[in-house]
Amino acid sequence: MSDIQFDGVTKVFGRGGKPFTAIGGIDFHVNDNEFISVVGPSGCGKTTLMRMVAGLETPTDGEVRVGGEKVTKPGPDRAVVFQQFALFPWKTVRKNITFGMRSRGASKAERDEAVAHYLKLMKMEGTEDSYPHQLSGGMQQRVAIARSYATDPGVLLMDEPFGALDAQTRTIMQEELVRLSHVNPRTVLFITHSVEEAVYLADRVVVMGRNPGKIREVIDVASTRKAEKWSEEPIDDVMEMPSFTHLRGQVWRLLREEMGEDI
Amino acid sequence: MDKRTPWGRVVTRSSITGVITVAVVIALWFFLTSVTGIVGQYRFPSPQDFLASFVRLATEGYAGGTLIEQTLQSLWLVACGFFTAIVIGVPLGFAMGYDRRIEAFLNPVFLLLRPIPPLAWIPLAIVWLGLSDGSKILVIFVAAFVPSVINTFTGVRNVDRTLVEAAKVHGAGTSRLISEVYLPDAAPMIFTGLRLSLQASWTTLVAAELVGAFLGLGRVLSTAYRDINTAMILVAMVVIAIAGAFTTILLAQVEKRVIKWRTT
Repeated sequence: MSDIQFDGVTKVFGRGGKPFTAIGGIDFHVNDNEFISVVGPSGCGKTTLMRMVAGLETPTDGEVRVGGEKVTKPGPDRAVVFQQFALFPWKTVRKNITFGMRSRGASKAERDEAVAHYLKLMKMEGTEDSYPHQLSGGMQQRVAIARSYATDPGVLLMDEPFGALDAQTRTIMQEELVRLSHVNPRTVLFITHSVEEAVYLADRVVVMGRNPGKIREVIDVASTRKAEKWSEEPIDDVMEMPSFTHLRGQVWRLLREEMGEDI
Repeated sequence: MDKRTPWGRVVTRSSITGVITVAVVIALWFFLTSVTGIVGQYRFPSPQDFLASFVRLATEGYAGGTLIEQTLQSLWLVACGFFTAIVIGVPLGFAMGYDRRIEAFLNPVFLLLRPIPPLAWIPLAIVWLGLSDGSKILVIFVAAFVPSVINTFTGVRNVDRTLVEAAKVHGAGTSRLISEVYLPDAAPMIFTGLRLSLQASWTTLVAAELVGAFLGLGRVLSTAYRDINTAMILVAMVVIAIAGAFTTILLAQVEKRVIKWRTT
């Protein structure tokens, strides 16, 4: 079980100076193998929320539990995909993908198998010995995603993973991520600025508000996706379906209210 | 069109221009000294004097040793001082960059020692260790130590935080963080430090040998100066330049082999 439980989670930054409440008391439960998208205006603390699950930040008050265990530090049960890919420039694709596996003590055979598996899945065969700078942005992010999946974490945390990619690459990556999470279902917390992306990928979309960061509303997408058979259609067709545009409009209205005078 | 030399450099139009420039300078040198005598041999040697002095140093020797002996002596001292400095300096700079408590502990010592020019250590080194190799190695050590510490420190302190976090969330412990993230990320800065240390080593060596030595290229220089032998002075200068360049190229080769992932 890799569910995530937020219990009265509060995060205040700036000891000494003027304290800033980034997250003001969040209670929320993410089910095992559920895909959650998080959207919200900038400064609503969505990245902070993710970093607390990763163990890169500690809540000022309350606690985060993953699989029932309180999070105190980073661990291989939770992997992060960063917006700027964060691949090790001095490691080949192979060594990058297997970085987390080596922490777990995976054998060479297991590692070779994983590299072959993920590169095939991402149609990147033959790039094993390339260095990251020799790859395009989209390919680099595929490697970063493979690195996180290969660690075999219960929870995948993605902080605007497609934010640095161009529009076409982004669309392809969204489709691939859907495919990947069908093959390897994981509990995912996916942070994004894009409402389309959030609705297309998630089982539930969390809309956050700010001052302080809190959950404004949670919108269910999974039942619609199943009923309208989204997974059987290509992404651009899905995004034109009335069921999709309806949900997208709903998320947009909430966001617009939260952004207020910023628009 | 392009041809590769043993150093991997590409022969291009600009390097041909360079060859022409050097040829012109040598021709001018020949003209001013041997042909016209505008510049007298006590101010600057003619090309023939220079070659004669070089042959003399190489065959019968000068100032207590032949070219090979003098050069090896200097190379040996540079190697001793340089390696001692980096073997202690790089780990120290690394520790200071990695852990702020170590920095807080050691930084005051550096703030006190840094403003002292390395050459100012020569008298104390001679008082302590005489005109032996030891005193020169000590001074080279002092000169080479600071750049390797400071640059390693800067490289480690400015490590890419996202990469550190990426390693942590993929389960890396302290030893993997150090060897697989901090060290490679700081490597280009560490090599910058090594290059500066090497330069400082040569500068200091020559100064220390000028002050007092029984053997070495600096000794050739100081003896030639007492003999007012401008040709031998020039020979020593050129040999020092070549020896220095040789070690710099060697270091660059090591760097190229270590940093294979260079993006440019």
